[in-house]
Amino acid sequence: MLTLIRRELLDNLMTFRFAAATFITLLLVVANTFVLIIDYERRLTGHNDAVNMHQRQLQEKITYSAGEVRVDRPPNPLSIFNVGFDKRLGNEIEVSHKLVPSLWDAGMHGSDNPFMDMFASMDIVFIFEVILSLFALIFAYNAFAGEYESGTLRLVLTHPIGRGKILVAKYISAMLCLIVPLLMSLLLAIILLTTSTSISLNSDDFLRIGGIILTSVAYLSVFYLIGLLISAATRRTSTALMLSMFVWGFLVLVYPNVILTVIPRPESPDALRTSAFNRIENIWETFDRERKHYLATDDFPGEDWGYELRGWGWRSAGFRDYSRILLYTYRSVMDFSGFGEKDEPKMPHAQKHFGFLGALTIDAADRTWLIRKPALEEIFIQPANMERVWLKLSPVGLYDAATQAWAGTDLLGVRDFFHAARQYRQSVINYFYDNKVFESRQWFSGDKGEADWSGLPQFSFQRDDINTNAKRALPDVFLLLMINVVLFIVIFLIFVKTEV
Amino acid sequence: MWHITKREIYDNLNSLRFALTAVLLLALMVTNAVKHLREQPKRVQRYQDAVTESSDRLTAHADDSLYKLAQYGPGNFYKKPSSLHFCANGGELVLPDTVKVDDPPVFMTDAEGNRLLEGIWSLSYPDANLQNKNVGPNVSQVDWAFIIGYILSLIALWFTFDAFSGEREQGTLRLMLANSIPRHTVLIGKFLGALLSVSIPFALAVLVNLLLISTANTVHLTPEAWGRLGIIFCLALLYTSLFVALGLLVSARVQQSAVSLMILLLTWVTFVVFMPSTLASIASSFSPAMSFDEFWQQRNPIQENLWEKYKEGLWSSELDDWKLRAKSEFYTENAEREERRQEEQLKYRASQVHRARAITSISPATLLQHLMEGFAGTGFERHLQFVENTQRYARQLREFVADTDRADPESLHILAVREGMSQKPISPESVPRFEDTLNLSRDFNTAATELLLLTLFVLVLLSGAYLAFVRVEV
Repeated sequence: MLTLIRRELLDNLMTFRFAAATFITLLLVVANTFVLIIDYERRLTGHNDAVNMHQRQLQEKITYSAGEVRVDRPPNPLSIFNVGFDKRLGNEIEVSHKLVPSLWDAGMHGSDNPFMDMFASMDIVFIFEVILSLFALIFAYNAFAGEYESGTLRLVLTHPIGRGKILVAKYISAMLCLIVPLLMSLLLAIILLTTSTSISLNSDDFLRIGGIILTSVAYLSVFYLIGLLISAATRRTSTALMLSMFVWGFLVLVYPNVILTVIPRPESPDALRTSAFNRIENIWETFDRERKHYLATDDFPGEDWGYELRGWGWRSAGFRDYSRILLYTYRSVMDFSGFGEKDEPKMPHAQKHFGFLGALTIDAADRTWLIRKPALEEIFIQPANMERVWLKLSPVGLYDAATQAWAGTDLLGVRDFFHAARQYRQSVINYFYDNKVFESRQWFSGDKGEADWSGLPQFSFQRDDINTNAKRALPDVFLLLMINVVLFIVIFLIFVKTEV
Repeated sequence: MWHITKREIYDNLNSLRFALTAVLLLALMVTNAVKHLREQPKRVQRYQDAVTESSDRLTAHADDSLYKLAQYGPGNFYKKPSSLHFCANGGELVLPDTVKVDDPPVFMTDAEGNRLLEGIWSLSYPDANLQNKNVGPNVSQVDWAFIIGYILSLIALWFTFDAFSGEREQGTLRLMLANSIPRHTVLIGKFLGALLSVSIPFALAVLVNLLLISTANTVHLTPEAWGRLGIIFCLALLYTSLFVALGLLVSARVQQSAVSLMILLLTWVTFVVFMPSTLASIASSFSPAMSFDEFWQQRNPIQENLWEKYKEGLWSSELDDWKLRAKSEFYTENAEREERRQEEQLKYRASQVHRARAITSISPATLLQHLMEGFAGTGFERHLQFVENTQRYARQLREFVADTDRADPESLHILAVREGMSQKPISPESVPRFEDTLNLSRDFNTAATELLLLTLFVLVLLSGAYLAFVRVEV
């Protein structure tokens, strides 16, 4: 057995294809890692700038109602391996009591040129997807067919060795050869990553990279086995080569690009959207009625929500809605830096009103979210998940999905951030309640003491731990492994039954 | 020579790869046509609705008064969808399809919210921002550019990798060269043979595609569109011959066909798949884009500056000639500066894209993509053309307003201010209308360098193949 492996290994190692495979993979991976690191650093700078700017803008505001607490999603360093949704989805969002933040309300801090998105973006996994599968097929196409033709297979089989053993020996030796360029290029990529000062990888990140390597090996093995299957079934090298290339082109190039345009797209669920939006509208109509009712019945005459305060500053209030993403919110801002003498008696009334309005808005926003969350899920997430399932019918799709999950750049990984933002909103609201911010004079005026933003709870977003990543990646890795096992059994059956 | 070509074609016609190629290309082209037929009517409908709405706005303004027209301007502008959208979709998700006409800015209101100072309309160039709402996987479009750029080029290599090495392995090359045929004839015969055998299934697929599209009554192709399609077909042939020549070159130099295929595939992967994106990111990292905040921060000093300059005229409540003129200048200048600022940002971004496009032109796949976009009337150049059209129209409309005002004897001829302008309604028919146009000869000019480059690639590779084949020992 060992002799067999050694023979096969030597056979493979001394070939031109091995040298070419290693060289090309190294070249592509190193060149692209270089570019990807620069790109990551740029995004990180953009993120830091945005954080600083939001901080500065917040500090400048002298009233609580005018302040916009914004949180930013940092770029994921593992996006170098698989960029996934990291660049595509919004990376800044306002956290306020008037709206429960979700993925769809997020904006982009536009430090990038949006037109540059015309050029396809790259990551290391994409290189592996294309190159490694190609090499695996090139290593496999003449494994049996070549030996049939040269007659050496007959020679080997005259020895008292089981056919299963020959198959296993071939598989192990070729996989060893194929793993060399994979590991070497990844090693160089990691060295480049660690030399960059802006990227700090913790031990969890290395485990994630380990997961990506594991998935890559499984992916590689799928394509090697496909090549073996073709080689065992065709018995001629030229046919095997041609078929292998066709299968490669189909699985890697055609299927992932074409399938989503071929499958019937579900009509966008307009009925669902309308009904959900109507219910949300009802909530806010009730809200408006209660608000007006309060203004009409409180001790202060008149129904002006600003209590006819005249001074230096500005005020605005109004609803904002966008039915496409089921957005509905009410915003009232009053930002004054001083008042006239005769306005002083109105102050307690205004303060009481804003206290009431704050609680009312929070309640309406929370109830909106209860309707909005499942509706958004059904309108946007479910069709997208359906499309992902279609893509996973090709090993390329499985590989992509699994590595995205490992890197934390999949949809779930990005949504974790918005989950954190929602939790942060809750703690901001608690802070506002605890310090009676809504009822305070600083809510709308900075004339007697300005808003104090320093006590606000800090936002911090930690990517989920490795267990979560593993949980999300493992189904796809498992499927890849299953494909491996099935292919191996089929090849074994074919090989056992063939006559030499 | 014809003999060799014919032999090659017969050889290929019976092979497995020919059948697979034909099936694959047909499937892709039918998908393309069906998708186009499903989406194009919707696209056109959307465009027409938007244009009608914006035209209605213009009519309403004109019916009101000349001042209203001068203040609010026309409605938004929309990019006319190309009827050859199926050839190259040209990054439609990234490119916005509209140029907006911003409502006049309000500089000052009184306590009741009445507008005291309000400016005039200006053009602005919004980003296409639907991207970040899409949570589905990235969808690449199955357009002709994809089918030709990726699939057809791969097929061309697939047909030629064993052109010489395969024959050498079988020994038939020796036999052929033993006849008194010059080597260049053999090469050209092989070249034409391979090119024709790739073109046959391709032409078939294109035919089916165009039949489907032209017989459907939901979309309509003009004679000009057919001309463009002809050019695109020729482009496809040129591009294919590039890869055929590459295949022949490698196949002549390499002894084994397996090695030849491997080298070819690696070259293909590097030039077609990896190079465009890698080079583009390198190009963009040279010149970082202006950040959004920087862009907004530029705005305030400009306004303060203007405000200082015209302060006296703006604050006064009397309406004498001098003060009206100050207001008019303030409004006009503010709109102009706002427009210029936006335009500069667009120009900056465009220059970045142009740099990236120039660098990525090393890859023939990108060259083809650009050429296809150029002739299909989609893509980035087309977008810039659309923007230019709107700018030209904006100038035209402003001139029209000034001229019409001059014809009114009651007006003070101080533009952009209510009190200084004609208040009479004007007939909507006399107002110039915006029309988005495509220009074929212009496309030819911009495409000329790229076309030349692509031809040069083909010639270099062909002569390389010739040299390699002449020197080879059988």
